[in-house]
Amino acid sequence: MMKKVRKDELIVPATFIVFSILCFILSGISFLFLAEQVALRFIRNIILVLALIFPIMAGMGLNFAVVIGTMITQACFIIVLNFNIMGGKGAALVLLVSLAAAAGVGYVIGRLLNKVRGREMVTSIVVGFLANYIYQLIFVAGFGTVIHVFNKKLVLSTGIGVKNMVDLKTFKQVFDNLGVFSIGKAKISVLLLAMIIVCGFFVYYLMHTPLGQKIKAVGMSEEKAANIGIDTDRVRIIVIVLSTVFAALGQFVYLQNIGSLNVYTEHLDTEKFACAALLAGGASIRKAGVKNAFIGVVLLHTLFVLSPLAGRNAFANASLGEYFRSFVAYGIIAFALVVNLRLEQKGEK
Amino acid sequence: MNLSLLFAIMRVAGSPCADIGTLLLRRRRIMGKYVLEVKNLEKYYGQNKVLDKVDLSVRKGEIYGLIGANGSGKSTLMNILFGNSVIAATGGYSGDVLFEGEKVKLRSTTEAIGRGIGMIYQEFMLIPEMTVAENIKLTRENTKGILGKVLSPELCFVDRKKDNEDAAGVLEQLGFEIDNSYLVKNISVNAKQFVEIAREVNKGDLKLLLLDEPTAVLGDEDAGKLMKVLKELAEKGTSVIFCTHRLHEICQVCDHVTVLRDGQVVSDYGRDELDMRTLARDMIGYDVAAVKKEHQNREEKEILKFEDFSVYMPGEFLDGLNLQVYEGEILGLTSLSGHGKLAVGYGVMGQFPVKGEFLYGGAGVDVKNVRKTIENGLFLLPDDRKNMGLLLEHSVRDNIVFSGFYGRNLFQKKAAGIFPVRDRKEMERCVEEQMEKLEIKCESAGQKVKELSGGNQQKVCIARAVLVAPKVLFVMEPTRGVDIGAKEKILNSLVQINREQGTTVVVASSELEELKRISDRIAVFCEGKLSRILPPDATDEEFAFAFTGEEGKDGR
Repeated sequence: MMKKVRKDELIVPATFIVFSILCFILSGISFLFLAEQVALRFIRNIILVLALIFPIMAGMGLNFAVVIGTMITQACFIIVLNFNIMGGKGAALVLLVSLAAAAGVGYVIGRLLNKVRGREMVTSIVVGFLANYIYQLIFVAGFGTVIHVFNKKLVLSTGIGVKNMVDLKTFKQVFDNLGVFSIGKAKISVLLLAMIIVCGFFVYYLMHTPLGQKIKAVGMSEEKAANIGIDTDRVRIIVIVLSTVFAALGQFVYLQNIGSLNVYTEHLDTEKFACAALLAGGASIRKAGVKNAFIGVVLLHTLFVLSPLAGRNAFANASLGEYFRSFVAYGIIAFALVVNLRLEQKGEK
Repeated sequence: MNLSLLFAIMRVAGSPCADIGTLLLRRRRIMGKYVLEVKNLEKYYGQNKVLDKVDLSVRKGEIYGLIGANGSGKSTLMNILFGNSVIAATGGYSGDVLFEGEKVKLRSTTEAIGRGIGMIYQEFMLIPEMTVAENIKLTRENTKGILGKVLSPELCFVDRKKDNEDAAGVLEQLGFEIDNSYLVKNISVNAKQFVEIAREVNKGDLKLLLLDEPTAVLGDEDAGKLMKVLKELAEKGTSVIFCTHRLHEICQVCDHVTVLRDGQVVSDYGRDELDMRTLARDMIGYDVAAVKKEHQNREEKEILKFEDFSVYMPGEFLDGLNLQVYEGEILGLTSLSGHGKLAVGYGVMGQFPVKGEFLYGGAGVDVKNVRKTIENGLFLLPDDRKNMGLLLEHSVRDNIVFSGFYGRNLFQKKAAGIFPVRDRKEMERCVEEQMEKLEIKCESAGQKVKELSGGNQQKVCIARAVLVAPKVLFVMEPTRGVDIGAKEKILNSLVQINREQGTTVVVASSELEELKRISDRIAVFCEGKLSRILPPDATDEEFAFAFTGEEGKDGR
């Protein structure tokens, strides 16, 4: 019985692998190039995907509110830059402040989601939208009016509103100086990689603690968990706090790796890609693990890198490649969701 | 010397001191302090008064029986004592609850557990996707590693090996054998009950244990094991409140019994005043007439035939069954729990992997095609009502007509002469009729089934089966967790389905007495094999032999 379920869980990842191999052959690029592209994207995306695991485990579905964590980190970067705190000191400050703020905001979101039991996913989407507009309001209209500008390079020539693009090289260098290794042309900071490994291990570890057992119990049946004597409200809040903090950390790693910040668009859709990656790794909206996150990120990004190239070669048309990518990627995400749903129904029997 | 043990020996030996011994024992227990006092407890659900001026006092180390029919307020009382959030959500209660002499108002189960109160539920509070060991140790996991010195234990690595050992230890103490690593969703109902009991017993600091119909899902043998465990717990100083329908169990273990009816305490008995008949009358409010089927002579026309039929159901294994079922009979299936009686029906309905042949009316049946099986006129009422037999969130009406409407295309009329639509009038009429016939107690046909008591839920299941009018009806443990009044109604309706609709009924039950009353033949299983087929008037001795598979296994 157990073995059969495991085989079923492999359907989605297996499809991704088959398509990836197909696209790899069609695209005709070198394996090294693929590895370098995927490695870069992997580093940028993985922690955000890990952030989704806790809420799924606790039965709260995909937490689309992780986008708020990413916005917090971006806001922290801008604010720290505004105070002209550069280099290592600045980076450390951003990390500390953003994680602390994410924990606080996570607590509030957790309280809110406790009030809308059973509709967590939709609520988290709406909360994400709301936060997005507050964020934009602050940086478009607040900077230079309510908030005093100390760093003139940040704002537009009118003196109000933050520029579209903010340079983060000063922070990136700190990490690059601490050691870099490269895959092809891609340079990856050893420190960032260490952070990712620690995060992955942390999620795995937490799932094997009594707290992890409680999270799982709440996820499988809240009513039963409550009757066994688990404070479900507390567990759910912890889960959302962790999720938001992870999202903030994930965005920190992402921006460190890129070295620049697209103030108004960088965070858009990040949560959707993270969700897609997790599903690609064989997770469902009720069951997910570290393994799913790692496999999923690699698979999704492999396909994302390969499919436009494959499309271009197959149809000899550059613009077609873009469509081909969307078609393949989203088609498979839809497929993943359907397969997931079917497996779930099967499991319930 | 252990006093109670001595007295027990004296009693067995028939010594004249035995009665004095029992008395002395009672004296000794009475000397213990009150662990729990309930004063003037009242509780409303909306306009409904479910508890009315209830008083209880439970002493340390006492087994306190609480009996009452379905819907008498027992479960509500338990929920109040265990701080279940349902109570606060429905407006709280009035009156006082004193725990160890201190006035308490429990707001959550976490708080109750913190004070040393444990509860075993009628419906299992087990996490289906976790293993037996994980469930037993949940919230009390062993941890390992050096991190424990700095972090709170909640954040340390779970020591699964130690957990497994602990779980195995407590299960062994209960005298129940099951592999720790099974997922709870895959184990049988009585195994689940033992896992739940094991979880509570494993708590070291248990002062008061509440049991809501713990033996309802157990066979006599397993219920006996549980009684033993309860006695041991009480000896160690844990007080036990024990809710059950099974009066002989109450008489067997309880030091004190309170009878609840319609939310009120109707009577209160000490250990030596216990009498099953008085208790039954107090509980129901009237004397119950037992159903008995008259045995008619029929020609033996085979309708079902099992040929070397095996079912691989975790916890209930059926091995190479050869059996014929005759048209129009009521066939009882019984065995000790886990010995195969339930596997027959579930195998036929394709719920678990099977091997061998199953013939219906002479033709082989593909058990995997459940829809086809139902269309052909076979129907099953499962023992796990809450999970498999009912749509808990739906109304009584929906539940009653569900299988008829979706499975057999009943209650349809043609709108504009072409499109088949629901015939609401006909549905309403059938539902009303069944509700009246079976005396289903509910506010209206629109009430959600999950709000009904266990007996009424079972009646809803029966009503559904009646409307489907199957050729062959499989019923699993129809009277499990049901009070005497409802029990007779259910047995009666099974006999009626059989007599009026000519339905062949196959009843799997651990209640031999009931099977004897309604069945034409009783098949007894032992260790997954058909042991003997006996007539209902066979002696208890013959049945005992059949249960244990001792004497000449005929038919093999």
